[in-house]
Amino acid sequence: MIVRLIAKRLGVSIIILFVVSMLIFFATLLLPGDPAQAILGQQATPERIAAIHEQMNLDDPAWQRYLLWLAGIFHGDFGVSVATSQPVSALIGERVGASLVLMISAAVISIPAGILIGIFSALHRGRPADSAVTGISLVLAALPEFVIGIALVTLFSTSVFRVLPAVTMQPPGTRVWDFPAQLILPVAVLVLVVTPYIARMMRATMLEVLDSGYVEMARLKGVPERRVILRHALPHAIGPVAQVIAIQLAWMAGGVVVVEFLFRYPGLGQALIDAVNYRDVMVVVAITMIIAVVYIVVNLLADIVGILTNPKLRTGGGK
Amino acid sequence: MGSATRLSDSKWTPTRRAFLGGATMTGLGALLAACGGTPGTGPASELTGPPQKGGTLRVGFVGGGAADTLDGAVATNIGDVARAILMYNTLMYHDDDYELRPMLATSVTSNADATVWTASLRADIKFCDGRPMTADDVVASIERIIDPDDPKNGGAGLASVDTVIAIDEHTVEFHLATPDSALDDVLSNYDITIVPADFDIENPVGTGPFMLDRFVAAQMTVLQANPYYWGDEGPYLDSVELLNFNDTDALINALLSTQVDVVAQIPAALSEVIAADQRMRVLDSETGMWLPFTMRTDVAPFDDERVRQAFRLAIDRDQMVNQVFSGHGRVANDMFGPYDPAYPDFPQRTQDIAEAKRLLAEAGYPDGLEVELVTAPIQAGVVEAAQVYAEQAAQAGITVTINRMDLTTYWGGYLEYPFSQSFWYTRNFLPQANNGTMPDSPFNETHWTDEEFANLVGQARSETDQAARVQLIEQAQQILYERGGLIIWGFGDQLDAYQSYVGGFVPNKTGLPLSGFQLHRVWIGDIS
Repeated sequence: MIVRLIAKRLGVSIIILFVVSMLIFFATLLLPGDPAQAILGQQATPERIAAIHEQMNLDDPAWQRYLLWLAGIFHGDFGVSVATSQPVSALIGERVGASLVLMISAAVISIPAGILIGIFSALHRGRPADSAVTGISLVLAALPEFVIGIALVTLFSTSVFRVLPAVTMQPPGTRVWDFPAQLILPVAVLVLVVTPYIARMMRATMLEVLDSGYVEMARLKGVPERRVILRHALPHAIGPVAQVIAIQLAWMAGGVVVVEFLFRYPGLGQALIDAVNYRDVMVVVAITMIIAVVYIVVNLLADIVGILTNPKLRTGGGK
Repeated sequence: MGSATRLSDSKWTPTRRAFLGGATMTGLGALLAACGGTPGTGPASELTGPPQKGGTLRVGFVGGGAADTLDGAVATNIGDVARAILMYNTLMYHDDDYELRPMLATSVTSNADATVWTASLRADIKFCDGRPMTADDVVASIERIIDPDDPKNGGAGLASVDTVIAIDEHTVEFHLATPDSALDDVLSNYDITIVPADFDIENPVGTGPFMLDRFVAAQMTVLQANPYYWGDEGPYLDSVELLNFNDTDALINALLSTQVDVVAQIPAALSEVIAADQRMRVLDSETGMWLPFTMRTDVAPFDDERVRQAFRLAIDRDQMVNQVFSGHGRVANDMFGPYDPAYPDFPQRTQDIAEAKRLLAEAGYPDGLEVELVTAPIQAGVVEAAQVYAEQAAQAGITVTINRMDLTTYWGGYLEYPFSQSFWYTRNFLPQANNGTMPDSPFNETHWTDEEFANLVGQARSETDQAARVQLIEQAQQILYERGGLIIWGFGDQLDAYQSYVGGFVPNKTGLPLSGFQLHRVWIGDIS
């Protein structure tokens, strides 16, 4: 059942990725200006533009370049970056790792935190603790990530306490995770942005489940409250929350751009901004595809969690 | 030359940046007032005594990207320029007062009609790999720059050069196809780098005070002192780290949290608040940098001299300098090259709305006219200048619609826009005219083909007598002043910031940040 669903989903995913690659490839080509002009800026004389076009085969028809790129993908060749003349895979390899470190660290903290806060809030429904959690999470959810980022930097790096680095600076040849202190603020921003959503969703579904007939039944049968929550209520609440978590993780894959921008973090987001500026089609497509893959995988995982935690779907029939 | 502030400006408006920065600093000020002296915020005494040796200087700047280069001859963004100046040298250079001085050459002199130039090279120069620099290297370097199949940045400025010949081991002759009395000035540009004849970008060897250690495009460049450096002074530092930022806020945060020691090019609006921090110093350099409005003199409505004049009279130059440069600059008079010995002293043009209206009516626009102004964040202040101008011009009945583009789009149509903007660093008259205001200039933004002007510049190019040349240039400037297509409203200062424990920075008129990146003079003192 689950295997068939995954197989079907993977098939659809490949078609989606193909369409995404084609859309992005040609959309990037539609942007005014071209890589040679972007690289040369004010120094762009016709002679120098012609020289770069020649070196990079930029005068070949677009469809020909796309087909060449597509053919390359099947043996792991993502093409060559116009801006750097380096293979795209070499250019973004390390950045994928850096972005994943940021996202996974944030996920590992915010998912359990959000779930626990949501449960806590639901169990204290209507009491001051619940109101406090609701209020804080509403404020955090309303703030854009760069506002949170600037506030944290002002608080911990530049003005009040000077205890944490304000930006990421790694010497060549080292990895971002060699300097854990530099990860604290970017991860904190992501955590502060993502956790409120998970907590609010967890609180809402938890309340729904706690009000449902079978929880009442369990309580009436004298099942200990602790067991009611862990064994009866929680599994039913997790399914819908998994969807919200998936959306939040997928958001992080794209929204991490702002955080990387703010903290000079050498991740995919920065590379994407750079590549768009340079009209560096191959790099733009490669990074977009990676983000698309993250979306697809995360949503697939959410569906699986949803099925596993929903007895009706788990036992066949289902959708 | 194009210092690319790619993202910061295109994404966040300076007004808000100024506000955020201001808010940050206000918070700091309040804190200082409240608890008086957290560690490192006490008043720092000025650095005194002789420079100390050793240490690493971390330099932050906004700009650069995946296309960053180690080849000084194709330097484009601010990081490229820093690497070009730190790793390589040129035959001549401009000192802090913008005086032309010999560098790798002991002298560069011309014959009577400026068609043959002779450069005598210093005999004691070694590349950072220990090999001596010879005339053959200089010849190869110039040929590399003017290579017709792959011209480098300086190729346009050296268009007059026909052949370069090594006369002996330390003498090089430039034979020109057309006279150029300012060739020595052109040879001082940071991108006319002298490299070994067998130069290979994989192993970039130069004669500069620093040499390459490690380099990651768009991220970081690590340079170390060149043990064979020929200069009398420095380098005092063991190494220099150049750090790319793509956002001014991140850059200032890095400075305030002492993650970098110096930052190049701070927004003028932030200079007061940074200077108020006891730990920081602001380096304010008067320069000849200008952000002109460019009116294409070959298309309507700007093909009418009266319209151009009206547009120049509509501008309030004092207000522009105050708002765009936060007062860190001087008003200009629609002429360029303020440090050229021939820069003339014509009556200062000021705002005259009545006269502007009269001229417009005379040109057939009694009810005013509408124009589109194409702008982009090509340099800090450019977009602000467009906004201020749109407001000012409205008084004269000129409706300016601002068409703001991103950088790549903007450069894609550069030289085509009827009404647009540009930026230039300090240059003397002839090199600037060669670049931007002659019929055959590669960057003739105003499509300026005035015959009288071109004749005068042509004569000045072949005039080696200083007094006679000054006179010719004055006449040419008169034409620009009276009917040119450039609105040159001001010359802006270069503002940089550094920690108080850094010594050796002095104001520098070249317009390049951080004392023209002359970091061999810079040293790190004791943190007080």
